[in-house]
Amino acid sequence: MAEVVSVMTESPAGGRARAARTVLGQVVLPGEELLLPEQEDEGGPGSAGERPLRLNAEARSQVRVVCGPGLRRCGDRLLVTKCGRLRHKEPGSGGGVYWVDSQQKRYVPVKGDHVIGIVTAKSGDIFKVDVGGSEPASLSYLAFEGATKRNRPNVQVGDLIYGQFVVANKDMEPEMVCIDSCGRANGMGVIGQDGLLFKVTLGLIRKLLAPDCEIIQEVGKLYPLEIVFGMNGRVWVKAKTIQQTLILANILEACEHMTADQRKQIFSRLAES
Amino acid sequence: MKETPLSNCERRFLLRAIEEKKRLDGRQTYDYRNIKISFGTDYGCCIVELGKTRVLGQVSCELVSPKLNRATEGILFFNLELSQMAAPAFEPGRQSDLLVKLNRLLERCLRNSKCIDTESLCVVAGEKVWQIRVDLHLLNHDGNIIDAASIAAIVALCHFRRPDVSVQGDEVTLYTPEERDPVPLSIHHMPICVSFAFFRQGTYLLVDPNEREERVMDGLLVIAVNKHREICTIQSSGGIMLLKDQVLRCSKIAGVKVAEITELIQKALENDQKVRKEGGKFGFAESIANQRITAFKMEKAPIDTSDIEEKAEEIIAEAEPPPEVVSKPVLWTAGTAQIGEGVENSWGDIEDSEKEDEDEGGSDEAIILDSMKMDTGVEVSGTGSQDAPIVLSDSEEEEMIILEPDKNPKKIRTQTISAKTEKIPSKKQLKKRKKKRAAMLKLT
Amino acid sequence: MACTQAQLVSGSANPGRTRSVGLWGHTVYTDANMRAEPGIESSPRGPGCSLRHFACEQNLLSRPDGSASFLQGDTSVLAGVYGPAEVKVSKEIFNKATLEVILRPKIGLPGVAEKSRERLIRNTCEAVVLGALHPRTSITVVLQVISDAGSLLACCLNAACMALVDTGVPMRALFCGVTCALDSDGTLVLDPTAKQEKEARAVLTFALDSVEQKLLMSTTKGLYSNAELQQCLAAAQAASQHVFRFYRESLQRRYSKS
Repeated sequence: MAEVVSVMTESPAGGRARAARTVLGQVVLPGEELLLPEQEDEGGPGSAGERPLRLNAEARSQVRVVCGPGLRRCGDRLLVTKCGRLRHKEPGSGGGVYWVDSQQKRYVPVKGDHVIGIVTAKSGDIFKVDVGGSEPASLSYLAFEGATKRNRPNVQVGDLIYGQFVVANKDMEPEMVCIDSCGRANGMGVIGQDGLLFKVTLGLIRKLLAPDCEIIQEVGKLYPLEIVFGMNGRVWVKAKTIQQTLILANILEACEHMTADQRKQIFSRLAES
Repeated sequence: MKETPLSNCERRFLLRAIEEKKRLDGRQTYDYRNIKISFGTDYGCCIVELGKTRVLGQVSCELVSPKLNRATEGILFFNLELSQMAAPAFEPGRQSDLLVKLNRLLERCLRNSKCIDTESLCVVAGEKVWQIRVDLHLLNHDGNIIDAASIAAIVALCHFRRPDVSVQGDEVTLYTPEERDPVPLSIHHMPICVSFAFFRQGTYLLVDPNEREERVMDGLLVIAVNKHREICTIQSSGGIMLLKDQVLRCSKIAGVKVAEITELIQKALENDQKVRKEGGKFGFAESIANQRITAFKMEKAPIDTSDIEEKAEEIIAEAEPPPEVVSKPVLWTAGTAQIGEGVENSWGDIEDSEKEDEDEGGSDEAIILDSMKMDTGVEVSGTGSQDAPIVLSDSEEEEMIILEPDKNPKKIRTQTISAKTEKIPSKKQLKKRKKKRAAMLKLT
Repeated sequence: MACTQAQLVSGSANPGRTRSVGLWGHTVYTDANMRAEPGIESSPRGPGCSLRHFACEQNLLSRPDGSASFLQGDTSVLAGVYGPAEVKVSKEIFNKATLEVILRPKIGLPGVAEKSRERLIRNTCEAVVLGALHPRTSITVVLQVISDAGSLLACCLNAACMALVDTGVPMRALFCGVTCALDSDGTLVLDPTAKQEKEARAVLTFALDSVEQKLLMSTTKGLYSNAELQQCLAAAQAASQHVFRFYRESLQRRYSKS
């Protein structure tokens, strides 16, 4: 076993089996294995491989870790399957959630995600909605606020829909609704006929939707605007004039490739002009 | 794959923006997107970027016999390919209407305008002429394919050098680049296509439409012009009615645009020529922008291979020697012969022999073999229980198994090679017995 | 180290494991037997072994979900990946993603050589891509040869890997391609140029994974002995470390602003 470990440490590319805690915020590559905190404490990487994962064995090492996107359980370790920065969120108890923050363009439906879809077809009782995933999502005409069999919502092919996934898994057709559990629209539904739709990477959307995102606050100071972010990478924006809408869209697109300092400069320059 | 549909809201916004003389990328009505031309290390290879639209051009040549009715003219051949890389909706191996239209337009722009002196491509009249082939690959589709493709085609043709030939009597000598410098093609003029997109039945016009603008346009006018403002081809599609004035105005704009583009092309060509002459670095590696964070370069890296021999020896020493090769042909029955171990009839008995491999070893190798299988995931087999004893009886059922088709015939070889450790005589006998039975089966 | 090496032997001696190598499974050994020369070609292998300069640019195309251009010396390949995307009903697989590789030559139409390479690359990708996570979808890798100056297949593999990483397709490991050439006096050349490939007695291309440098695919051309094969593999493994380091550094640079 010791020999294997030495192989790991000398391999510069693999850099295998590092402790998850030590690489937080760093770039991880597919194929890397991460050790959970519990294993570090008890014996270091050398002996970690010999023990099976005991999730509830002792009170001391009771770790409940959730593998987020880009991670999979591999025996008693975490296997990285996507490239990106490793993130961790500590909830009240347990080992928390680990995930890989990657910059991808293709969306994979996830239950509970709010997305912007384009209606591609009406067939009977359901609408087919393109969300950018591998298959169109279905949306019942009853899944709108106040919709009844008689009172059908006014939805045309080509309209934009802001909705939420209630069914999304790899084996089933995704299903969207435009109401929350109380039957309220809660901001969801058909998006107005004006405004501009554009696409950004999924990583940028997550950044923009973060609770303390300074970009949104800065953008809000520039012009009064209406904006909708879909987790599928689509952004709809509307300002008073076409010109302002275009400026906003271009700023948001450009945010992707800028550091926080660069963004500050841009915003201060725009505020002046 | 299907294209992402265009929403009503995008369509409406685009049209309203066009009415207000605004474009999504901040351009003016008559502005082209940035054009970037980069050359490969080979002659006649270039990549043209028109905004995000990218086209790869490559010119090649070969000596062929000329067409019967044009005995003294070389042949020009254009082929534009819309690869799926460029857009998800382009399907491989399908001649879509768009592709046919674009190819035809390119031919008209470049071949029918006689911009290449085809007579200078003749080597021996009626016997040998050069065929110049221009391959264009669309790498990324963000609108206005035809302009990008026509620029790529003419740039590649200008950049191309064909091998020098000499004719002495009946003898045609082809010189390699080392013997004689390759010669450029003789190009009379450089026709370049300029696209105009029309909206609202021709009320509004845009130069160099991008992909989203193309999706909401009503009609398209393509004018191919050279820098002398001679019109080489003109095509209007989409079924809009244009006034004479509009066409004339477009041709004037096209003239101005083409003059600018031609200048850019010439600068790019001169630059490449200069770098090549001075022996500097050239090729696509040089055109990757260093400051981009998505790009990364690594210099030539020496690899320490001093210990590979030892490693190899170690492995060979550890590995078992391969099985003896039976060089004498074996006659099983009249009319059959077998040389060496060969591939035995393995219908159905693969599973068994695999198990034997894994059983008899008990060594590391067998276990690792198993893990290899899992890791590569190329094949997953051996589902049966590993400890199942191998029973060979002469009952009918056994024969039935033989008739089961093997899933993958490659396993047979796996077995013969990896079974190099098998020195157990009983196993060999078993095999022979099987073979005999198989042979007998065939006879009966 | 010894343990990983042993795996390699079993891996390489087992064409069935890598499916594509059926070609030489048999030849290796008959060849080794016939030329029973003592001390097979232990020619000097000095500092001559090196990889040409590498360059890679990711996410350079706007339409595909992921893209990468990979340059090894003057050899250059552009790769674009779509996935997990919709799949044709005829190609749908109920429990995993349909992986497709399309290789486009620069001149002319794709022929048998391209089809064969497509298959080799596809099988390599299949081995590392976790397709079971996205059943009934398609993952399409489109490769365009930009220029061929030797070690083309290795470059295709590297471009495909970087594009898959850029796309965010879940993978159990990274992979890289390394080409070795053996010239007439048995000298080993890594990452050969077109000229070196032409003059070589044998050209061997390996695909190796990043976790344990195990063999995922190998294809060879020409005659070589058993010992030479192992030497080439060992050299390819050494070279793969550099390629993986290059991958890591370029990906770290890519994510440096996020």
